[in-house]
Amino acid sequence: MTERARRAAPVTLLVTALAVVVAFLAVPVVALFCEVPLARVPALIGGRQVREALWVTARTVAIADGAMLLFCTPAAYLLATRRFPGRGALITVLELPLVLPPAVAGVALLSAFGRGGLFGDALQDAGIVLPFTEWAVVLAILFVSSPFYVRAAIAAFETLDPVYREAARSLGAGPWATFRLVTAPLAASGLTAGWVLAFARGIGEFGATIIFAGSVRGQTQTLTLAIYDLIESDFDAALAMGILLVVTSAVVLVAYKLVAWRRTRPVAARR
Amino acid sequence: MTRRRSLAVALAVAGALAAVPAAASALTVYGASSLRDALPALDGSPRYSFGGSNTLQLQIERGAPADLFLGASPVEATALYKEGLCTKPVTYATNVLTLIVPASNPAGITSVGDLRKGGLRLSVGAAGVPIGNYTRTMLGRLRLTSVLSINKVDLQPQVANIAARVSLNAADAGFVYVTDAKLAGSSVKQVKLPTWAQPPVRYEGCVVKRNGADSDGASAYLAKLTGTPGRTVLKKYGFGLPKQPKKK
Repeated sequence: MTERARRAAPVTLLVTALAVVVAFLAVPVVALFCEVPLARVPALIGGRQVREALWVTARTVAIADGAMLLFCTPAAYLLATRRFPGRGALITVLELPLVLPPAVAGVALLSAFGRGGLFGDALQDAGIVLPFTEWAVVLAILFVSSPFYVRAAIAAFETLDPVYREAARSLGAGPWATFRLVTAPLAASGLTAGWVLAFARGIGEFGATIIFAGSVRGQTQTLTLAIYDLIESDFDAALAMGILLVVTSAVVLVAYKLVAWRRTRPVAARR
Repeated sequence: MTRRRSLAVALAVAGALAAVPAAASALTVYGASSLRDALPALDGSPRYSFGGSNTLQLQIERGAPADLFLGASPVEATALYKEGLCTKPVTYATNVLTLIVPASNPAGITSVGDLRKGGLRLSVGAAGVPIGNYTRTMLGRLRLTSVLSINKVDLQPQVANIAARVSLNAADAGFVYVTDAKLAGSSVKQVKLPTWAQPPVRYEGCVVKRNGADSDGASAYLAKLTGTPGRTVLKKYGFGLPKQPKKK
């Protein structure tokens, strides 16, 4: 064997492995697009059940993401900028839903907010019904997706040089103005990247939702649940929703890459 | 500018939040999976949640805001009634079991006895869901319980999934109701089961009792279902009908 052939052999192996991986990961997605005539997709998505599922998904993800940004941003800011005993343990608790199987998350939510659960009876007495309502979908999405955002937000705030904050404070800006005018804009691209991940996880939520929120058409049936519901009675509609979700996910992924790319550029420019 | 934008965002969030409770006002019907096409054909206005009757029972026990429960056996409605979670159950339909195979019938099954050869991909209701319980009763009567151990059995939580697996050729055979075989249309073929082995399949439902339930709407729906409009639709979808809309 010549020197060149000996060097080429591992490369051939590597290329083969890459080809296998690419084929395995890309083929199902390509097959999805081949299965249904693309021209019929708009008509299929216009069906009542699909329209309702689309609307439920859009609304619950919007509310969950709104609440997530509202609560998790300050929480992450505090965790990133202060050092206190138990901080590491606290962050671990917040990250736990990341590694929890979604079905377990659903059962956990049910034992917290369902009838006979930890808070379920008290809520019921107060006239608040959470399980198997649209709020349950929101809670399930929040539970499984906000850790993605919290993690990214902590990282984004941690990498900021405190010098900017101190400069703003020394120039007379209050804490709120400092956050709004200095910290938030500087962390914005990191926060966006975290939000994109959380959003993608949110629209794909299935396991926790079906256990904690059920599959009530027009109320708790999101797109992923509608796919599961329609797979046998209307396979084409299920495929069309699949295509819709693939396109959404692809757009989200490209947006994420763009944000990540832009994030690395201005830092270099600043130096 | 920034302040105005954050105000707009806050308003949008508040608007979206306000829109949710408003959406929860329609009558909510929890129905057995086998009713998934018949009930919307009877009345398209309520919110429907279709699933295994035992799953729906659990959801109602866990505080699900259902107004009407329509199960595929007497077990679930009776349990809810005994727990004080619904009114006295009413029989509204009957059904018959059947064995379905994919239209191409890859395993060449022509009678239920053919399942004895083993190694087939069999889709069966899980224990606890009505179709699973009925299937086990029937196999017991046929002395064919062993087919559940010698074949590759895939347990499903609701009958719609079994029909789906067979019609998508992901199973060689599956036990469903004749109404599911009818819905699956030409994608499946039926293999008749001996009449003497058929368990009585009685569908019972009840009006859910909980704070804020739309009991009037649920009672009206149940009356419609057991009355002429309901009987016409159920018959069209292949269900059997109880002698009269009689109370249990």
